[in-house]
Amino acid sequence: MAYEPVLVKHVAEPNAYTLDSYLKHQRGYEGLRKALTFTPNDIIEQVKASGLRGRGGAGFPTGLKWQFVLKDTPKPKYIACNADESEPGTFKDHVLMERNPHLLIEGCAIGCYAIGAKVAYIYIRGEFYHVQEILEAEIEKAYAAGYLGKNIFGSGFNCDVYVHRGAGAYEAGEETALIESLEGKRAQPRLKPPFPAVAGLYQCPTAVNNVETLCNVPPIVLNGPEWFTGLGPDKNGGPKLFCVSGHVKRPGVYEASMHTTLRQLIYDEQYAGGMLDGRTFKAIIPGGSSVPLLLEAHLDTPASFDDIQKAGSLLGSAGLIVLDDSVCMVWLAMNLLHFYRHESCGKCTPCREGGDWLYKLLQRVERGEGQEKDIDLLFGVANNILGKTLCAFGDAAATPVLTTLKLFRAEYEAHVREGRCTIPAEWRAKQPVFAHAH
Amino acid sequence: METVTLTIDGRAVTVQKGKTVLHAAIEAGISVPYYCYHPGLGVDGSCRVCIVRIEKMPKLQTSCSTTCADGMVVSTRAADVVDARASVLEFLLVNHPLDCPVCDKGGECPLQDFAYTFGPNESRMDFPRRVFDGEGVKADVDFGPTLMLNRNRCILCTRCVRFMKEVDGDAQIGIVDRGYGSEIATFQEEGVHSLISGNLMDVCPVGAITTRDYRFKSRPWDNPAVVDTICTLCSKGCNTSAWLKAKPEWAKASQLIRMTPRFNPAVNGYWMCDIGRFNYHWIEGETRVRRPMLRRADGLEKVSWHEAEPRLRDRIQAAGSADPSGVRFLASAHTDTESLFVLKQLVEGLLGPDGLSAVTVTWTRSEKRQPPGTTFTVPSTNAPNVNGARDLGYRIGRGNDGQPDDADLRGDVAAGKIHALYVIDPGPDGSLGDVSWILEARLNGTLPLLVVQTVALSELAAAADVVLPGAAYVEKDALYTNEQGLVQAVSQAIAPPGEALEDWEVLTRVAKSLGLALGHQQSRDVRRAIAAAMPDTPYADADKVAFARPVSARNWLQASNPSERWKWDFMFLDLPPVKGHSVQTEGTPMEGAFIPLKPV
Repeated sequence: MAYEPVLVKHVAEPNAYTLDSYLKHQRGYEGLRKALTFTPNDIIEQVKASGLRGRGGAGFPTGLKWQFVLKDTPKPKYIACNADESEPGTFKDHVLMERNPHLLIEGCAIGCYAIGAKVAYIYIRGEFYHVQEILEAEIEKAYAAGYLGKNIFGSGFNCDVYVHRGAGAYEAGEETALIESLEGKRAQPRLKPPFPAVAGLYQCPTAVNNVETLCNVPPIVLNGPEWFTGLGPDKNGGPKLFCVSGHVKRPGVYEASMHTTLRQLIYDEQYAGGMLDGRTFKAIIPGGSSVPLLLEAHLDTPASFDDIQKAGSLLGSAGLIVLDDSVCMVWLAMNLLHFYRHESCGKCTPCREGGDWLYKLLQRVERGEGQEKDIDLLFGVANNILGKTLCAFGDAAATPVLTTLKLFRAEYEAHVREGRCTIPAEWRAKQPVFAHAH
Repeated sequence: METVTLTIDGRAVTVQKGKTVLHAAIEAGISVPYYCYHPGLGVDGSCRVCIVRIEKMPKLQTSCSTTCADGMVVSTRAADVVDARASVLEFLLVNHPLDCPVCDKGGECPLQDFAYTFGPNESRMDFPRRVFDGEGVKADVDFGPTLMLNRNRCILCTRCVRFMKEVDGDAQIGIVDRGYGSEIATFQEEGVHSLISGNLMDVCPVGAITTRDYRFKSRPWDNPAVVDTICTLCSKGCNTSAWLKAKPEWAKASQLIRMTPRFNPAVNGYWMCDIGRFNYHWIEGETRVRRPMLRRADGLEKVSWHEAEPRLRDRIQAAGSADPSGVRFLASAHTDTESLFVLKQLVEGLLGPDGLSAVTVTWTRSEKRQPPGTTFTVPSTNAPNVNGARDLGYRIGRGNDGQPDDADLRGDVAAGKIHALYVIDPGPDGSLGDVSWILEARLNGTLPLLVVQTVALSELAAAADVVLPGAAYVEKDALYTNEQGLVQAVSQAIAPPGEALEDWEVLTRVAKSLGLALGHQQSRDVRRAIAAAMPDTPYADADKVAFARPVSARNWLQASNPSERWKWDFMFLDLPPVKGHSVQTEGTPMEGAFIPLKPV
């Protein structure tokens, strides 16, 4: 039986984003109506039973996260929806918010009900200006229709949803940095503990959930946890959006179950449709730029959290970056470190100083000016960042270097030996597009 | 006190519940480096250098942010911790200019000390270092009226940011840009404008923030001695340390080289204000009175005590015999308790039991403009001992929180009723407030005799018939009673210059010349008399007060601030750490738990 999309089935239709379309095609707000007939704890139990795992990157069970939100407190509680989608190679939340905003709004409302919150903030990436406009307009319509605001469906439940636009920082996608930014401070991570579930936004209990995660909540409430678990492998149930990019014929967002293998996502006609121009597959980054590379041998791995982890990488944000044989792995690491160096928030030492150092070393090696010792140094510096930073950013920044060194050390050595880039692809920009003075 | 017991490097350590692992390690004398942590500021956890291994935790933990728990097993010397720590220190030094030879912090720099002790032996960094623009000395920029900022040296620990936010109450310092380009900055480069800005040099763990007052003036190894004392420039009574510079006899510069705050949770915490920190230059200044002076036809002439005393005696006796009520005293509330006590004995001897009514105590008040949220307030009363005068029975009007009550004296002086006025003014200049009414009376000829016992040749002293050289607050052992009623000991850091004497001694000599044998040979004798005269008061033990003496800086650090104890582990080692010489493994009491940093 062919997989029936749940989240993005209608997004290609011109009016997909409207409330009418949502009500007509997706049983809009029935999930919320049904949820309000249960107790909040029932909702959390249902989400736990569904095994829904956070779609932002870590794959943490959402039901557990909601259960951890402190109950016995006079303080208000919050849902902070992480819509700061900035991981290179990831563009799934963008589609959901732009083309199916009511699903998110309904998810926010059910989330609020479940944890006892009255307010949800959608922290949207600074660059998603046009998405914000759509989202805000649709929130207004939801208010007008009585799906948000006071006494929803006569249940006495009140819920407000606000959109807050970030200023364009990758680090704001880290949950505590997102909270700091929401509070009007610099987007820098906080020390944990205390975790947001105990002291998050304004030091109040807060659940930070990814857009896609919240979008999965209304269908779970509507169709039941069994339906959700049945859609995927054990502990990896539900619909999943995969962002396939790189050297494929049809890059894009594809919804599939997590039974689907990486090979299917790359080669199947309904997905990316194979390698671009018939080129040869070299490697894949399966979960956004922060995770280790996988090779041809791993392509039959199902794209699930657990299977990808078993294969030695992480599903992360399900941003599949497909690389063909024209990709120089030194260049790849340099390209990614250019990003991480630029996006480091600068709060803690290893990431701030190490990221820049790695980038400079990679530039030198890529230009053919490196020495053998630079390769060892890259390994040493990346390892010194690993595990010593305040948030996961440090590990993310070290990973491109470590994974390319592990799998393609020969390419680094060839750069040093020949004094030039050995795989200088023509499609490559001569200068980094965002070249900075420092 | 509820306690928890944990194991650090194989040693059982018991600490108060709620303390962090870093705190426990420091208390146990186990050196763990730290930069972003400061005991007076909130935990940040950003420098990552205090990481330790805690059993049952998957990753290394920052000890500054981990609360102690019973049974916790911590290692600060495990191989992975040693390596991780060294790598963070390497990162910190990647862009640090290493201009230690010209840096004010050199010699008392945590970055230096910890890098030598815990850092790698050599840097693998071979790219040009990050630089920020600046003028003058490389990268130095103005950072407000009291400070300079050198961004190249900054390691972005954000202690200064947090100090301004949490203590000053006005978050003037922030970080602009991000990541690799992060820099400490103020809005539009306006700099820091704060009454407690000097603390920023103390909290800065490198030489990025320096005070204009101290920069380039001395090096730590030129300041061998430190005296624990109290600031007396207002009624707060901050606990401070006076740093003494060793200098050859012929050198003209002052010996008192800086004031720094000393931890006292009951009074000032870790901080002091800029007034107390920077306003000490008058003590060894040009206008300092070093010898008694007598008015001759052509002005004041420097004389010896033996010449001054008979003249003073004759004039006061003449005035007092003619009309005892025409002899009055004006004492600054900067006068120490001992001197006020001797003054009381003097006036009671001269004028009888009601003698104190002849003395007016004066001081100045000024409202300090501070942000509403500040946690370190500087009081309005600019004098340290109003409460001491009160306790001795002097008239002090509305007391410490009000203006002095000098209306009677002013009226009498203006009316020409006063034949002799004896002023005690131990400085600083201006602490008597408005003295124009005295100067006016002198010009009009309505005040025939003016005696000024002082430290600086002020306008008032210049108009006197007799000037007697007294001592400033760092030049005597004395007691002051602060706004809380706390009796605190000021210790002598330097000797009074020339023939100047401590104020109690001046008054004792004056009393003796007038025929009153008070019998005080040393200041301790005065305190003994105070203790005997005031039982059942905070002064009952005045004779048992211990005063600090100049000690080597190493002992000072040991005694003053437990949270800065790491300094005496490393700062003043007899031999400086040498490349390849691992301090970590030497002289430590534990066995087997240590792994050398790097094989030599």
